[in-house]
This record gives sequence, C-alpha cells and structure tokens, in this order.
Amino acid sequence: MRTGVFFCQMDNSKNLNIDAIAKYSANLPDVETVQILGVKPHPDVKMLSGQIKSDNLERIVIAGDMPGYFKPVFTKAMALTGGNTDEIRLASFQEHGARGEYALDRAKAIVACATMGVPFPLVAVTGGNPVNHATLIIGGGIAGIQAALEIANAGKQVFLVEQTGTIGGHMAMFDKTFPTLDCAACILTPKMVDVGQHEMVRLLTKSKVVAVSGKPGSYRVKIRQNARFVDVKSCIACNLCAEVCPVKVESEFDSGISLRKAIYIPFPQAVPNAYLVDEKSCTYILSEGKKCGVCMKKCPKECINLSEKDHTIDIEVGNIILATGYELLDVSKIEQYGYGVFPNVLTSLEFERLTNASGTTGGKIVTKTKRFNKKTEKDEWIFSPEGMPPRSVALIHCVGSRSKKYNPYCSRVCCMYSLKFAHLIKEKIPNVNVYEFYIDMRAFGKGYEEFAERIKQEGTFVVRGHSAAVSMKDGQMSVRGEDIFNDRLVEFNVDMVVLAVGLIPAQGNEELSRMLGVDRDSDGWFSELDYNGSPTDTDKGGIYVAGMCQAPKDIPDTVAQASAVAAGVLSSLTSGRGIGNLSSISLSEIEERAKKIHAI
Amino acid sequence: MAIRVNPMFIDVLDRYGAEDVQLCYQCGDCSTVCPHADEVYKFPRKSMRSLQMGLERKIETSLEPWLCYYCGQCSTQCPREADPGETMMSLRRWLISRYDFTGIAARFFKSKTTEILAVIITAIVTGIFLLYYGFSGGSINIYDGEGAFLPSTFIHKFDLSIGLVVAVFLVINAIRMWYLTMIKGTPFYVPWWLYAVEFYQLPWHFFTQKRYAECESQRKTTFFMPWFVHLGLMLGYVTMLVLVMVFIEQFQSGPAIKWSVHVFGYLASIGLIIGTIYFIRKRFQKNYVQYKKSHSTDWVFVVLLFLIVVTGIAQHIFHRTGLLQEANITYVVHLMFVVPWLLRMPFSKWAHLVYRPLAMYFAAIRKDALLRQEEAVQSSPVFIK
Repeated sequence: MRTGVFFCQMDNSKNLNIDAIAKYSANLPDVETVQILGVKPHPDVKMLSGQIKSDNLERIVIAGDMPGYFKPVFTKAMALTGGNTDEIRLASFQEHGARGEYALDRAKAIVACATMGVPFPLVAVTGGNPVNHATLIIGGGIAGIQAALEIANAGKQVFLVEQTGTIGGHMAMFDKTFPTLDCAACILTPKMVDVGQHEMVRLLTKSKVVAVSGKPGSYRVKIRQNARFVDVKSCIACNLCAEVCPVKVESEFDSGISLRKAIYIPFPQAVPNAYLVDEKSCTYILSEGKKCGVCMKKCPKECINLSEKDHTIDIEVGNIILATGYELLDVSKIEQYGYGVFPNVLTSLEFERLTNASGTTGGKIVTKTKRFNKKTEKDEWIFSPEGMPPRSVALIHCVGSRSKKYNPYCSRVCCMYSLKFAHLIKEKIPNVNVYEFYIDMRAFGKGYEEFAERIKQEGTFVVRGHSAAVSMKDGQMSVRGEDIFNDRLVEFNVDMVVLAVGLIPAQGNEELSRMLGVDRDSDGWFSELDYNGSPTDTDKGGIYVAGMCQAPKDIPDTVAQASAVAAGVLSSLTSGRGIGNLSSISLSEIEERAKKIHAI
Repeated sequence: MAIRVNPMFIDVLDRYGAEDVQLCYQCGDCSTVCPHADEVYKFPRKSMRSLQMGLERKIETSLEPWLCYYCGQCSTQCPREADPGETMMSLRRWLISRYDFTGIAARFFKSKTTEILAVIITAIVTGIFLLYYGFSGGSINIYDGEGAFLPSTFIHKFDLSIGLVVAVFLVINAIRMWYLTMIKGTPFYVPWWLYAVEFYQLPWHFFTQKRYAECESQRKTTFFMPWFVHLGLMLGYVTMLVLVMVFIEQFQSGPAIKWSVHVFGYLASIGLIIGTIYFIRKRFQKNYVQYKKSHSTDWVFVVLLFLIVVTGIAQHIFHRTGLLQEANITYVVHLMFVVPWLLRMPFSKWAHLVYRPLAMYFAAIRKDALLRQEEAVQSSPVFIK
C-alpha cells in the first residue's frame, strides 16, 4: 500500500528530533513520500489532494504530538481524490508516550506501526518477567487505602507505606464531602480500620521509601521506618502522656490552627491508634536524654521508649502503586491576599479544620481572637470556641490556580469545596453574608451543577469576577472585586476570607520519580502512560499512579482510579503473562511484531 | 440598536502593540487593582472584552483608554499574562490614529520604516531649506541681527508657521475626538453648562498630571519617580516651546545672557536632559512593566527629543563662547531635528499632550451627566439565579 507520512506538530517540543524520525520513516517499506509540515501548520486541502493524486497515495500517516487535530483536513483531501478515508492513520507521540529517554525510538516505532496499519498498543505488549505477588503502595491517603483494600481483599499481600503517623491523608481532615454533604470521616474511618486490621496489609507508618532496585515484577525496596518512640501494639491511647507533656507545637493535622503536644495522636480515629513522638520538638530527644522524659514515667503500659532508633526494612514486591497525593501552594507568596498578614485570611484546609466538628472550636465557625502570649510576650491570634462568629465571609476561588505565575492548571476541586464552605457557613451562622468570587464555575461531576445551583438559591452572593485585593482599614477587612455580570465594581466588608488555594504535587515526588524512573510532567505530577487509554499505568512496567499524585482530582475520581489500579495489579498477578518495561522492547522487535501482525 | 462587530479588530490592534488580548479570560483582577477604575469607568477588563469581541465602534467612542496612565499594576497582577496595561496603551495609539483625519498616524504606528523615512525626509528638506535661506541672504559668521545666517526674526516666523500647521491638525483632531466621544459615544443628554462647570479640569490635568501621581502612589518609589520625571519633561518642552514661539528674539540675541528669559531656558533644559536620559534608560532596562514593550514610535519621540536637547545646548554654548560658525551649523542641525519632531506631534503618541487633558475633561462631564441620568447606582450585587 503506497503510504505518505506527514509530520504535523502542535508543540515545538525540543526533545523529539523530527528530522531523524522523518529520515527513518522514509526507509520504511511502502512509504512513498515523507513531509514535515512544521509546527501548527495550516495544510491546504487542494494542495494535499493534489499531492495524494500525483503520488498515488493509498494510505496517509499523520505523525505528531496531537495528529488528530489535523485529521479532518487530510480526510477531506483523501475524499476529494476518491481514496479510502479509513486509511488515514494517526501516529500520536503523546498518546503512546514518546517522551523521556526512549522518546526517539518510541516515536519511530509508533510511526512504523502506523505505516503498516497496525495499532501500536497491539504490538507494544510488555511482559515476560515473573511477578512477585506482594504489592507496595506509597501513600496512605484515600487512594492508597482504597487500592490496598481492593488488592488485600483479593488475598494478595500489600505493604502500605505512609510518611506520617497515621493513614487517612487529607480526606481525614475534611468535614463534609461535596456534593452529597456526607461526613467525610464516616466514609473514610471504616476503610482505615479495615486496612489497619487486614491480615494481608502490612502497615508501615512514619516510613519512607529510600531506595528501589530490580526490574518490573521483582522490585527490591528499602524502606526506612522512622522511630515512633511508642510501641504501637501496647499503646492504649489513654492520653496520659500528652497531658503531662510540656511542649506545644502547631498541629499538622489541624493545618496549624491549633496546638498539639510533642507526644500526640494526630486525631482520635487514627490508624494505627497509637501515640507518637515528634522528634523535632520533644525536649528529651532534642537534649539527648538530659531533660524531661515525664511521659515515660507516666505511661501505665510502659510503652514509650524515647531512645528508639530508626530502622530499615527490605522488602521485595512485584508492583508499586504511587499514591503520594498533594500539598497546598504556599499562599503567603501571593501577596495581594494578605495571607499571614491579616489574621482572618485562611487557606481552604485551615477552614476545613475550623468547621470540622472534631476541630479546635468544636465545629463553630469563629474569627480569631487576640491573646497575649506570656512566653514570647507578643499578641497572637488564635481560634477559640468563644470567638465571635463572622458577619460576612468572602470565598475567593482560583488562588494560584489557572495562573501563569503559579499553577497553570485548574485544581479541579476548589469551586466545589468553596461552594460547600458557603453552605456550611450559611448552615452554621444565621444572617451571615457569604460572597463567592469566582472566574468560571467548574461544576463538572455528577450532581455538582445541581449542588452549585442549590448554593446559589441558599442566598450566597455569587460574584462572577475574581478578587485580587484584600485590604484592612481600621481593623475591618474589605475585599474588592469586579462583579462582571452586574457590571459594577464591588467592595465588601468582610470578617473572614477563605482562599481556595491551588494544589501542587507533594514534596517527595521529585525524589520518588528519580528513584523509580517514572516521568513527571512540567507541573510536577506523575505522568501516566496515556491519559485516555491507560490513565493508571506509567512508563515503567509494574509501577502505577493513583489519586492526586497524577493530577488534581476529587474524591470520587480518586477512589475510582485507586480501584482501577488494583484491577491492573491483580491482572498482572493472575494473568501469568508477567510484566515488563515498554522501553525494554527494542525498535527492531516492535517492527518485527508489527510485520507479523501486518502479514495476517 | 444594532452593534457592528469587526472580527479582525484584534488583529488590527496587534500592529499597535496589543499582542496578548486573546489570552484574557475575564477574571477582573485588572479592574480590581486599577487605582483609576470607578463605578462609571470600569477598565481595563471591559476594554479587553470589547476588543476580544471586536466592538470597534464602542472603543472608538470610549474614553477609558485615556484614563489609564499605565502604572502596570494590572499587567503585574494578570494571571494570564495578557498584559492589560499594554492593551490600554495600544488602544490609545489606535485612538490617536482614529482621531487623526489624515491617516498618517495609522501609517506611522503600523510601519516603523514609514515613520523613520518620513522623519529623515522632513529633516533633510528642512536642512536644505535653511541652508539655502542662510547662504542666500546671510553670512555664516553672524549669528543674529543684520546679515545673520538664521536671523531670529526669520526663525520666529518659521517657528510660528510650523506651530500653526501643528495647531490646525491638533484642533481638527480634537474636534473629531469631541464628536466621537461626546456626540457619538454619549447616548444620553449632556447639559451644556457642564462644559463650563468642569472646565477647570483642562488646565488642572495638563499641568499637574495628578492621576499619574495617583498611579505611582501604588508603587512606593522615591518621589513618585516616573510621574515626577514625566512632569519635568513635559513642563520642560512646554516652556521651551513658549520661549521659542514667543520670545525667540530675546532668546537668540547675544552674546549677553538675558536672565529674564534664559532662567526659564536653563530650568527647562535641566528637566529635558534628565527626563530624556531617564526614559531612554528605563526603556533599555525594561525593569518596569510599562517600559517592557516599547513601540517603535516611543523610541522615535524620546530619541529625537534627546538629540534636540543635546544640539540645543551645544548651539547655546558655541554662541555664548563666540564660536559663531559652529553655532550656526549646530543651529541648522538642531532645527533639522525640531521640525520633524514638531510636525510628527499630531500623528504620534505625543498627541496625548492634548487628548489626555481633553479626555479627563470629557470624562468628568460624561460622568456627571450619567450620574444625573441614573441617580441610583447601588452597589449591592444581585443573585445569579
């Protein structure tokens, strides 16, 4: 079949040498003509059809990062010449993951398959290596928990590695979930308990993956388990140690709005339900055993050992699931919102903890009160249950998201949780004014649009227009914005501002990606193999992504993806086909396989 | 009323410097941070929107671009880097070309070769004319008075005729501006006495540029720097133009220095030399938002002015030190820069000297009239249902 290959790029990607691929494709069998049309070309239908006619082409391969974009023009040209429009093949570099180290060979293979009319995924089937039946999950948030349960329930061994003292992740911090307004803990805690008690799950809290070696199917993983200083098995969480502990530091679980002791349990429902010691603030550890140590004396079960050392564990696993989650962008660097300057400007997670019934105010939404700190002799602003409820609250969307300066992407969850906040505020405080400043309302999921409508009907002032200015005058905060739909500039006096802060990948992702050889995209999220076709696989065989660490997504999507990952892992365990790296299949091998399939 | 849309308008504006308008996604951050946006004149977002929609007629009759002094807050804040500040600047350039009935301004803005060629040709023609005049009636060794190369009486007439040409263009353009903005662009009744009530706005904004200072107050630089230097530069050349147009006969006579006139000349020269060097330096450094993208026309103005100042000072020194031959030659060169610089005025951004105070004046009238029209502008937002 006489074939013409046309290169049309959408992006001027520097890591792909188009000329080299073009040269290679010119030598492929049946290829009559190869043309490089450049970046974002505007191919002319008449010119193309003229070329198809003069070269007598029967098949056209459009190669590029997003060739589908150009397909209509070529289809038209083909139809004009009376050719078979089914013979327009796409060679998509992006879809089949031609990037990173093996980009050039992969791209060549993709073009080769397209010229032979063989689908690339049919040829590029990895496998071969025998699979160890244990699975490592990095990250104990809802994604990790869900995947662990799915795999463990199928009777396979799971190692769940979590950096902090408890599993649960960010979801444990939430009050309600949108759009159903279910209690987040009611969904999460049973799952957490299941994971904690499951015989097939080995829970490694306060642990970190430090080294990975081996090949797909049998990865040797070194995990460093940091000292917890409390024996998990014998601790009964009686709280006597925390009562006597003299050190107070900001609670990570309460995102800094309340204080905890140096020996603490993150939250009452933590799994494992045992206390742990923060080695960065404990007086005994910092003074190397010279001072304090009262908790050890107080403990009725004698399970506290403040001289415990870190230790490493070596395990061998067949599959690795990345579920490392996200962090919030540091908003104090976006100066116009006054975070860190004005006391009552909160991030979304801080507000989430404030409104949570297990939070420091018992779920009452209040403004901060000033209190004199005797130690530092300075006034400080803290939340206390006796605080005044705010008379008006501004919720500002897209803080650091969809911005070329900070995060170019949409964080996906902010619109919905801001609407949820509006509901919670309206529900808890009567006669409160809530102003939502948004750019575009992205209520995309099942029931989300209805939820947005409902919030609007509840009497929230929804202002279509972003606010870029929070200012304080005589102790009264005010928020300026442009109300675009009503064509006016508005300025509201508010007592509290909640910023819908953009999400960024978790800090350890860079290290992990280097360790595992998994690509990250320009924003720092892990790259999946193919966004549409295999959203849970990565370039490396036997390594998968689930949840936020791949891209921002809400809880339903995260849970769905985690279950999908489990399906992938289980199929690799039971199919007997084994797993392998896509990059380990050489170009000649792919060509050969394609030829075989082509011959059929 | 039907609204005519020009879908290619955004491409037209691209030539005037507004390159990134399409990036704007209407978040309104720019209007929020703008120190000049108020309940009647809401910009830059609305101007960006009109531009995206191709509402050429609407922008043609709007005053908003003139109310912006380009402090750059909006462009710094813009999450899309759509550069609203530069868009407002480009809209001013485009408006100048719309007010200009000859179409020369549009040519200059669109093509820098046309402009530079026009400047060079005007300079050469001026030079030839002055040399011809000088050699036909005078001696190169006499600077002023009887038998001078370029006697001040002649220069006075020459200046006035150039000034007259510029004034005719400016007045016609200003009338066109008034027609477009106050007749076509104001669909409600404007009482005539408002023109008298708000008249103080004209000299007030011309001489103080108070709104520019308000812009700068956002940035916390010493002495409100760009505003201060801009004001000095403007007062400098205005003083110089007055001296040259009216008092040239006292100004040129010598060799004694007439302090009653020259004290103004020296002050103006200081303002001009500092101003031109400051702005040229800023445009090279590009560390302020508003100087990041310099249009070719911006360069022509400031470079010509710098050359005029340098040759003017040189000529003054030569004259006072008795080097009359050199003084006469420098004088010709000086005028070769002055004439194209002056004649260029109605067709370049420099015309904002006239349009800006006028726009403030018109804007104040229009705002008064509008507020009279709809007295209830309430600031409570309406639910979106």
